[in-house]
Amino acid sequence: MSLYLRQIGVIVWKDLLLELRTRERVAAMGAFAVLAGVLFNFSTDRSLVRPQDMAAGLIWMTIVFDGLLGVGRTFHLEAEDGALQGLLMSPAPKDAIFLGKALSNFVLLYAVALLVLAVFMLFFGLGIGSSPAAVLLSLGLGALGFVALGTLFAAVSSGTRMGETVLPILVFPLLVPMVIYGAGATGRLLAGRPVAEVAGNLRMLGAFALVALAAGAALFRFVVED
Amino acid sequence: MSIIGIRRAGIFLAALGLLGLGVVYWMSFFWVSTEASQGIVQRIFYVHPPAAWTSFLAFGIAALTSGMYLWLRDERLDWAASSAAEGGMVFATIMLITGPLWGKIAWGTYWTWEPRLTLTLLLWFVFVGYFMVRRSTDNPEQGKRFSAVVAIVGALLIPFIHLSVVWFRSLHPEPVVITPEGPSLPGDMLTTLLVSVGVFTVLFLGLFMLRYALEGIRHELQVRARRAAA
Amino acid sequence: MILATESPRPAAATAAVVDARGLVREYGAVVAVDGIDLTLAEGEFLTVFGPNGAGKTSLLKMLGGAMRPTRGTVAIGGVPLDFSNGEWRRSVGMLSHQGFLYQRLTAEENLRFYGRLFGLGDLEARIRARLERVGLADRARHAVHQLSHGMKQRLALARALLHDPQLVLLDEPYTGLDPAAASVLRQVLQELRSDRRTVVMVTHNLTEGLALATRVAIQVGGRLGWEGAREDVEPDGFERHYHEVVEGRA
Repeated sequence: MSLYLRQIGVIVWKDLLLELRTRERVAAMGAFAVLAGVLFNFSTDRSLVRPQDMAAGLIWMTIVFDGLLGVGRTFHLEAEDGALQGLLMSPAPKDAIFLGKALSNFVLLYAVALLVLAVFMLFFGLGIGSSPAAVLLSLGLGALGFVALGTLFAAVSSGTRMGETVLPILVFPLLVPMVIYGAGATGRLLAGRPVAEVAGNLRMLGAFALVALAAGAALFRFVVED
Repeated sequence: MSIIGIRRAGIFLAALGLLGLGVVYWMSFFWVSTEASQGIVQRIFYVHPPAAWTSFLAFGIAALTSGMYLWLRDERLDWAASSAAEGGMVFATIMLITGPLWGKIAWGTYWTWEPRLTLTLLLWFVFVGYFMVRRSTDNPEQGKRFSAVVAIVGALLIPFIHLSVVWFRSLHPEPVVITPEGPSLPGDMLTTLLVSVGVFTVLFLGLFMLRYALEGIRHELQVRARRAAA
Repeated sequence: MILATESPRPAAATAAVVDARGLVREYGAVVAVDGIDLTLAEGEFLTVFGPNGAGKTSLLKMLGGAMRPTRGTVAIGGVPLDFSNGEWRRSVGMLSHQGFLYQRLTAEENLRFYGRLFGLGDLEARIRARLERVGLADRARHAVHQLSHGMKQRLALARALLHDPQLVLLDEPYTGLDPAAASVLRQVLQELRSDRRTVVMVTHNLTEGLALATRVAIQVGGRLGWEGAREDVEPDGFERHYHEVVEGRA
């Protein structure tokens, strides 16, 4: 069991180390977060609609698009020099490889999600609402579910001729629950509603993330086998 | 059951289904009484929900056989999965066309976020994803495995999608739509609906078996061609 | 056709290191490997020659468990490959013409990654030892993208051998190497012989391929067109023989 966890850990370590060295995804995703906020500002007419009313939805959609950016490239690290094959030929179980990849994607995406939140709070003058912890939790659980699906389908899409362009088609329909519960929770919390009101949402987000991770771990081996 | 046997059964069921469809149309247009508030256009009701039901049945079959395919690696399970998915997509398309048509005429809007309609739309996209990954790999075996994964993940998450969409609707009620349903449904309408559901199912099964048999025949041709070349 | 498992030394191990029967690999309608049997004992070094498209890489991948055979079985150390349990992967090391290396990590970090993935003990000492044996000890802290192609190959070899595998698979290791680098690689591969590892090497390089082999085979059109012991091969005439075999199957 501990070898299993260490195997997951070393994959996370390797991904994050590479990300630190190249800063490829972090830079792109970070810039996207800020620029999306800018564009949203200019695309909303303040005389017609209050940004606060739309903030939660915009935040979550920005995270979704930004996440797509990052997760689409998750296997590019392995693509050069065929490193994925080296990984697959190791005794590490395929589900461990998946969880490692998903976890490193999560770290990246959650950091970006926090940036998106900060950017939107800054640009639209939002308060943190009734419970910062619950907001952070909702983003975290949403990010978890997202990376689970995104990592699995990134492996699928990188095996097709269409590559990343097919990723949204595969992932978006399945993200509906995450967006509904996540944006619903965040919206209420930012508007000052009590945590008790969104507890159900958070539970559903958690359940969704769990199912997505389990499905990804179980099915990853079928995607990467040769 | 041999491929030829399945093909014959498929022809029989499909023919039965088409015949039944004629009966359903007759019942919908001439036999069943007109619904009070919506008038004639309400008769789409006898096509719209049965199409949805059938598409979900098809998807269930596709997801189940996909799972078994990954486990047992029997190609025939993949034939079943893709055949079911094709049929399911057809019926989902029917549902998505009849829905807005009905909506526009009856209530003035093409689209509402009614849970069933929304769910079918998302299911339709899962089908699209299924076929897209299936056909875009260099190695066909890989494509089959990819599409199986798509079907399985879709099936696992459909309950979440359903719950979330229903919950969302409860927060944002829109004009109550589409179906008079449940115990309040008058006898002849219920009968017509049930007959239609049955007919659609039979028709789907017939088409499904025909499509499956087609795959079987294709496979057999390939095997014979390879044997002749060797 | 099964290669007899004779070896120059009295065989200590009786179980074949690799035992493959009836290997077939299809990609849809394309048949890359069309029925190959192969048995190798400890310490044997098999070089497989063949034109492009003969299915050599597919064969190698199947032997190493990197790819599932469409039909046929592979057993390593007597244990049939079970794709649901990866423990037998510790017995196999593969050097592909891709390096399996992360360009932006240092040589050390690459080895450390694989070492931890394999759960190897005494890792730092192992890494140092391996780097020394391939002559890269002074480049340990260099990022891979800063290394020359020959050095990358040697690092990839160090990675493949880090976990002390019984079976070593080399896929065109000499491709893209100048004569100096090739000779360094040969020296390193020489150690595989003295370590009594079982090796299968695929290469286009007739000279290098014959230099270290104990057995030789020529793969054409998915099958082994010819095979024999190295002793039976006459280096000078081999090129002609190779062309005869390859064209004979055209």
